[in-house]
Formats: sequence, C-alpha cells, structure tokens
Amino acid sequence: MVDLFPLSLSLRVASVATTLTVLTGVPIAWLLAKRRFPGRDLVSALVLTPLVLPPTVLGYYLLLLIARRGPIGGFLGAFGIELAFTWRAAVLAATVGSIALLIKTAQAGFESIDQRLEQAARTLGHSEWSVFWTVSVPLAWRSILAGTILAFCRALGDFGITLMVAGDIPGLTQTLPLAIYDHVQANELQQAHVLALLSVGLVIALMLAIGRYARLKY
Amino acid sequence: MSMISVSLEKRLGDFSLEAHWTSAANIVALVGPSGSGKTLTLQCIAGLTKPAAGRIVSGGRVLFDSAAHVDLRPQSRHIGYVFQGYALFPHMTVSQNVAYGLKTGSRERLSARAREIIDRLGLTALCGRYPNELSGGQQQRVALARALATDPDLLLLDEPLSALDAPLRRELRAELVQALRDCGKPAVFVTHDLAEAYQLADVVVLYENGRTTDATPKDELLWNPSSERVARLIGARNILTGTVAEIGQQSVVLEWRGQRLEAARSPSRPLNVQIGDALAFFVRPEYVRLIRKDRPLADLQRHVNCLQGDVVGDRDEGTTLTLFFRLAAPGTPSQGTYDLEIEVPKLVYERLGVARDRQWQVSIHPGTIQPLPGVGGRESEVDLFSDSRFPTPDSQ
Amino acid sequence: MTKLFAHVFAVVLFCQATQARLEPGTTKNYQARPLQTPALTVFAASDLVAALKELIPAFEGASRSTVTLVTGSTGTLAQQIQHGAPADVFFAANESFVDDLAKRDVVLPGTRTIYARGRIVIAALKSGPLQPRTLEDLTKPGVRRIAMANPAHAPYGLAAQQALEAAGLWGRLKPKLVYAENVQQALQFVQSGAAEAGIVARSIVEVPELSWVLVDSSRHAPLNQAAAVLKRTRQPALAMSFLRFVSGGQGRPVMKRLGFLLPGDF
Repeated sequence: MVDLFPLSLSLRVASVATTLTVLTGVPIAWLLAKRRFPGRDLVSALVLTPLVLPPTVLGYYLLLLIARRGPIGGFLGAFGIELAFTWRAAVLAATVGSIALLIKTAQAGFESIDQRLEQAARTLGHSEWSVFWTVSVPLAWRSILAGTILAFCRALGDFGITLMVAGDIPGLTQTLPLAIYDHVQANELQQAHVLALLSVGLVIALMLAIGRYARLKY
Repeated sequence: MSMISVSLEKRLGDFSLEAHWTSAANIVALVGPSGSGKTLTLQCIAGLTKPAAGRIVSGGRVLFDSAAHVDLRPQSRHIGYVFQGYALFPHMTVSQNVAYGLKTGSRERLSARAREIIDRLGLTALCGRYPNELSGGQQQRVALARALATDPDLLLLDEPLSALDAPLRRELRAELVQALRDCGKPAVFVTHDLAEAYQLADVVVLYENGRTTDATPKDELLWNPSSERVARLIGARNILTGTVAEIGQQSVVLEWRGQRLEAARSPSRPLNVQIGDALAFFVRPEYVRLIRKDRPLADLQRHVNCLQGDVVGDRDEGTTLTLFFRLAAPGTPSQGTYDLEIEVPKLVYERLGVARDRQWQVSIHPGTIQPLPGVGGRESEVDLFSDSRFPTPDSQ
Repeated sequence: MTKLFAHVFAVVLFCQATQARLEPGTTKNYQARPLQTPALTVFAASDLVAALKELIPAFEGASRSTVTLVTGSTGTLAQQIQHGAPADVFFAANESFVDDLAKRDVVLPGTRTIYARGRIVIAALKSGPLQPRTLEDLTKPGVRRIAMANPAHAPYGLAAQQALEAAGLWGRLKPKLVYAENVQQALQFVQSGAAEAGIVARSIVEVPELSWVLVDSSRHAPLNQAAAVLKRTRQPALAMSFLRFVSGGQGRPVMKRLGFLLPGDF
C-alpha cells in the first residue's frame, strides 16, 4: 500500500552522503582547528553558508553547476556520468546540506585537544598524518561521532536542495522527505504518516545502536 | 661535543624574544619569571615554533639557520621533550606512551627497548596503567621515559617539577639530577625557581621580558652577579648604593649612610669607577653578623664594617628569621623603614634574646659586600645583559 | 568499531533486499514490469494531479508503456527542465512558461498545445464559520485569512490576484492574504482550517470537506494551460501521443469533469 522505495533510497543516499561527508569533512575540520593559513576565515565562513542559504537557492546554484551544460556537469558528462536528476545528485544535495554540521562539531573536538599532545607526538618522530591518526582522531572521536550522527540525520531529511538538483522523480530520486511531502500534497495523509513514523523510528533505532556502542567502548 | 648554541628572534603580538646564549655544559637551566620567553625558546629549539631569524646549533648539528634556510622539522631533530604538565597521551597506557616514539626495529626489539627504559625509571609495575591513574611523580617519570626512549641527542624539560607539591618536589629533584646524569645527555630545562636551577644545572641563563643573559656558571651567578639588574633577578636582597671613597688594589671603600664600608674587589671583574662615583652593591642577609654582647669590647677591633643600630622588625620564616635593621645614624633608611635585612637561624635568635633586646652592633665581612658594576641605583638604558664575550649572530 | 560497521551494513542490506535498483526505468510501486516497456516521464503542474492520476493508467494500458508522473509548481519544474531534467512532456499551468522554454530551444517544435483553460474558485470548509459565495464575501470579518498560490510564480495565484484587482478588493484584502507555494498548498491551508477561505484551482478543489464557488473567468487573464514535448525526449512519438491523449478524445471528458475549460469551448 505504501511505496517503501523512498525509504530505502533515502537510507542509501544518506549513507553514501555521510561517508563522503566524513571523508572530506574530518580533514577540513582538522585543518580549520590546527592550522593558520591565509583565507582560513573565508573557508570557515564558506563552510557555514549551506546552513544559512535557503535550500532552494542553494539547490539552484548547485543545479547550475551540475546540469549538463554546467561546468561540472559538462565535465562529468564527457565521461558519461550523469549527475543532475539522478540519485547521485541526491547524494550531493544531502552532503552539501549536512557537511557543515560535521565540520563544526569535529572542529570543536579537535580544538579541545591540548596542542602539547600533538607537539609531543611530533617531537617523538611521528609525521603529521600519523599524529592525526594516532593522537588527534582518537582524542576527538566523540565529537566526530556526534557530528556524523547529526550529518546523517540531516542527510536523511534533506528536502529543498534535493528537490532542486535531483528532482522529485518517483522511483528514481524521490527520497523519503519528498515522498512524504508528495503524499501530503496529494491528500494521501495515511501514507504520509506511515513514512514519517518510519523515518522517526529509523533515527531512534540508530541512536540506540550508537549509544550502546559508545557505552561499550568505555 | 655537547655544545648548544642558541641565537634567535621571535615576535608574538606585543612580546618580542631575543635569546642569545651558548654553553658547552651538560645541563643548562633557563630561569626567569613567567612570560619571559623560556618556554618559547624551548619550542624554537625543538622546532615546534619557527623563530623569525637566528641560528640554533646542538651537538654540532645545525637545527635552524634563517640565513641558510635551514629549518629541520621537529620529527628530525632527535630531541626529547618533557612538556610542562607532561602531555602524556591519555588514551594510551604507560608502555604505549613510552613506546610511542619507537618506530624502527622489529616488534620484539621495540618492546625490549621500551621495557629497558621503563625498568630503568622504576615504572615496571605501572606498565598497563593510564595516565589519569598515575600520581604526579609517576607521570613525570613516564614523560621522562618517553622522551628518553628514542635516545635523543638533547633533552628539553619545561618546568619538570613545578606541577608537584613542595616535599615531593624536593624528593624528585634529587631523582631528576640522578636520572639526567645517568643518561649523560645534554639537557636544557626551564624553571622559575632559582634554587631548583642551582641544584640541577651547571650553568644558568637568566630570562627577563624576552631578553637573556649569557650562560653563567651557577656559582658565579649567585655569588657574583654581573650587574644590579641580574642581582635583582636572582632575588638578592640588600641592594644598596654607596659612593666610592677610596680605591685600593684588593678593596674599595664605599661611603653609605654616613658609614665607611670596605668591600673586597672581585679579581675576575674589573671595576671602572673613580672616587666620587655612585656604586651599587649588595650584602647577603645571612652574612651580616650580630655581635655578641657577652664578649669583651676589645674584640671589636677584629670586626670590620661595624654598624650600630636597632632591630625594628622581624619576620619568622620557619627555620630562620629575617630581621629588619635600622642604623642608629641619622638620615633616611635605605630600604624604607630599615637599612638592612639580616637573616639569623632561629637558634641564634633565641640564644641572643633578640626578641627582647633590640639594640645591636653588626659586622659585615668585606668579602660579602658585593659591588655591582654598571651605574648603580638607576635603570640604565644600556642593555645590561649584553656581554662582549659572546659574539652576536652578525659577527659570525 | 566493527560492531558499528556491522549495524550499518545490516541496514544497507535491508534496503537492498526491499528494493530494486537506482537506475532509470525502475518500477514504481511494487509491480515488477519488464524493462522493455517504453517509459515516459511527465512533468506536470500540481493542479493536474487529479486529472492525470485518472488518465495515466488508461494511457499505460492502451500504449503498453510506463509513465512516471512528477508534479510540482510550474516554475520549479520549468527551471529544472531548463537545466536538463529528464522530462519527456511538460504540462504547465500557464503558457508563458512553455513559451519561455521554447525560446530556450528546449521544446520540440510544433508540439506546443493549449490543452485547457483553468478556472479559479473560492473554497471554504463546509464545517467552517462562513461560506463565501462571492469575492466581496471575503471582506467579511469572519474571514481572517485567505489562502492563495503565490502570484509571483504560480499562474493560479496570479489569476487570483487579477480577479481581486478587477473587483477592486486587492488593496483591502491584501493584509488577509496568505501565500502558498502552489495551489495544492493553498488548498491545504483551507482544508486544515488555517485559512477560513482560499482561492484555488477548480481542478483540485473536489474534496469532500470543501464547498466552492466558481469565480467569473472574465475577471482574470485566461489561464491558458500549455503543454509541449521536450527536445531531449527519446520517445517523441510516445510523448506526443500522450499529449494528444490528454488533450484529445480520451482526456477531454475527464478534464471537463474536473472543471477545466477546453479548447473548442472558449
């Protein structure tokens, strides 16, 4: 009765998006926390812009970039990769909308590490990369985890940006939030309720699982 | 060759550091008040901060040279650093901390070397503990073990004992001296406690507000400070000013508060003064003798530099007392309400009944009146720390 | 760490198990269809939801194809088509958008068709305080909020504004107006009771709990609704046949029933 495709699509999109977010966001957070470089304040502000701009506006700018005749879309199109109006665009939308949450949280985590610990690691011969992995990340893992959860939930719930760059194409790019919205628009309130409950239930299950894991570690 | 030569300039906001000193001694202490640039110097030596200009050489290796564009990464400097607060990795056990710097070699050799250091510093029983389960003294030893494990060429210690309470500090001072001498590595350590520096180091570099003295052997520093400013820095008391009345081969006579004081001249330090010049000097409080009243007056001949006055106040320091002595001679006392600080052991105080009997004659041996070269009494614009013996970076 | 990965992996597996792939040509709902059926993607303005939902299954049966319906506000859909959205046919709520696309050379020439003319109505909850019959009734104090689509980018919103202006009520009623994203949302405002009345499209207002009254169509510019086949379609013939299906013999009765004025009638 209820089409569950949006649920599974959203889970997959959010998972891929969160993976991308963590892989790019954690190093950026570390850079912002630990290094002074020209343009640092600019980068910091840029990171926050997706949180500030209205999603449709953000989506529009992204669309200009990734559409077939846009700079990025055209480039990828040459390799036969379609970006706009595909699930990949949904991943992009979710990533852009949520990466700031991870970066800011992880940055705070890194900043709270006593810099003498990292200096000690350097004097003991470890390279920057090794210092990052053996000292910074283990000491900031709680913040990184919190940021990842935030980012995942945000990625799961993205609406405006996804709508613009991926479209609301049922069976293709109709993510959970878009599906719920469509059901409401079409007055199919029961289906809307089911999907909404499922997404909330999903987040609760995720939080419980992570909470248990975090307690086990300590 | 365990020579270390530091010459650097570094600016941090309003603060500017210019440190120039060199030493072939084994243990160098950097002493001065907080914020004077000592830790910053260590960071520059370790390569954790980059000086604006200068040259740092340790054991024949050039670690930094701004003119030649040499700047070794901290990872390549082979320096062991014991941080203030120890900076132990909270998420690693003691043995993991100690072994952290050991990367080369097989797994077997790794543990062996780590174990060796752990045993040597008496940490064997604590191997599996985490830093937050250790006492201050134990943490300090782990930090030392970690720094030594990599067999560095130079050891840097930043306030290694300041995080500990007084009795523990005294105890660990001895341990630290022993450990440093045992490992035989040159070391530079930072402290704000001159007594600690005296106990642990061979030479001392004084820091004040971003400027340094040369590396002075500790005795010379304490007993023969090079200027009034240095004397103030090492906490000398009774820094006074007199007028040169006579100049002799072995001694100089100063006029002070209407009294004539004979001060011995230091053979190693020239005294370029003329009769009538003002000259600063200091008197060690523990060397001002109260003259016993039960001795016959004739013995007074033996005492030189006799002064008559009253004890106008005293301060109980626990095992000694500081007496505030005001000369009977008319005029304003040199140090506010009194002229001299005198330090007496409690035993002498009680025996002589100073509590009740406040009028005394004191004598000061000429050798314990230390003239301080340079213009005494007022702050000089000339950098009193510059020493012509040490070549400046430009002249090298 | 491994436990966390295990959990995540399990979740991902679950999704895989419950669903088909992410590539185009996938099924909608659960019914499995052979991939060989030709597929169409139709972008349509939200006021056509009811009509198209009725017509699409009939078309799919007749042509043995699959039609994916994407609805939204005409403006957003036009934007997306302009930037390469995978639409074969576009049903706009206003001809200007189609003309605009044609100017941008995105439309297959000769396919532009006016398929209907829309009507606007005043709607209110049957159980509500007031049953407005005329635009003037909207000035009554009992009507505190009036919902309508945003005239800036929704054709039905613009028509509503024009009607109000023609009745000389625009200035007076402006403080009471609540702009919705599109007519569907305006309808929801009325349905939920957030607005006591609304000016919405005739084609979506047939909802049991609402009563409605047609607004004189001479009071606003005609809501000529145009459709076109888009250049990028890979199924031009099928697309055109769908367009004709909706605007032609099979589609007209449904459209008429849902209150649209049809070509030939105006």
